[in-house]
Amino acid sequence: MSKLLKRALKISLTPAILMIVGKFLGIIITSLIYDLEFFVENNIQGLLSIQILYPNPETTLFVNSISNISMLTLLAIPTLYFIIKTSIYQTSLQNPKTVIKMTKFNVLKWITKKDTSFLQIFIWCTFLVISSSVVVIQSIQSLSYTWTGVLAGTISLLCIWGTIRTFEIETDKIYPKENNYY
Amino acid sequence: MPNKKENIKKIFGQILEPFALGVLALLFIIPVITVMNLTPLTQQLKKLDVLGVTTEDSVKLTLVEGKHEIFTSETLNKIDEDNYTYSVILNKRASDNYSKPIIEIENKSSEEKLLTFFGQTVTNTRSNISLILNEKSYRIQNSKGETYKPEIVIAPEQKIILFLSIENLSGIQFSEEYDMDINISPYVKRS
Repeated sequence: MSKLLKRALKISLTPAILMIVGKFLGIIITSLIYDLEFFVENNIQGLLSIQILYPNPETTLFVNSISNISMLTLLAIPTLYFIIKTSIYQTSLQNPKTVIKMTKFNVLKWITKKDTSFLQIFIWCTFLVISSSVVVIQSIQSLSYTWTGVLAGTISLLCIWGTIRTFEIETDKIYPKENNYY
Repeated sequence: MPNKKENIKKIFGQILEPFALGVLALLFIIPVITVMNLTPLTQQLKKLDVLGVTTEDSVKLTLVEGKHEIFTSETLNKIDEDNYTYSVILNKRASDNYSKPIIEIENKSSEEKLLTFFGQTVTNTRSNISLILNEKSYRIQNSKGETYKPEIVIAPEQKIILFLSIENLSGIQFSEEYDMDINISPYVKRS
């Protein structure tokens, strides 16, 4: 078995679990905070087997939107952290000013070792894009607030841009841009 | 030169690779299905009384259904606990009397309930439309298109079957839709 596949499997586990946990915790915490009445049913309908039921459409919409945001937050924060960390790490190699700034903000450990790979960013970004797509589709279907769909779309576009930029930085190491030398 | 143990490990790794790819794909698919599964739905909660015993609707309305040449495409929709809508297509017909059992009504509560019916056809086809209960007729629309609001009282634990009847003196050459609103309220005896 290739090392790449092993690493991909290992990296994918965390965002996969966080995606489910984010959604589940979003539902439970919202229901507990707002003291919402709900019950769970077990009817097999195609691929779906569990139904969390709320008494009225307004509550369902609210709980679904909040749980979607919670799921997105749990995926977006680490993804953005990995992207920013990698960008800063690469910039610090070429620009000493970045090192000074990092020292000022007391986040020097971000640039002392490279423990974030492009594969990790790519996998996290893929999970974020998948969950954003689910939120956008649910917003179109009026199952979630419109602003959650807009927010999900914006975050995923931002992360895609960040991932592409990280990829460019990685490829620059192998094929350096000519203008850097002239 | 690689030894036998390393060779076996290599072959085993090659066999495992397609399965690992499948697992990787599943790691992406399973969370999506789970998230969709966890999406909340709306459904009327079952009401619980103080003893924790589930109580169902106090008055239960069920569509009788069944095939009929004149009465087709029947639907009964529950709007809320006390309001229902019934609709049926009345097909083209010769001049005659027609009737069909439409709704079974069961009063599960311990009090008398008053059922009020209001309905009319979109176009006036000079038909007399009535509800029939225990061979007693309750007019709901006359041949001039005027509507009435018949009321029926249903006793506790009583189960009745309501018939819809149409009578027209001349043949009707087209289909028409008939909609009827049903309201349920507690029966208060008038002095």
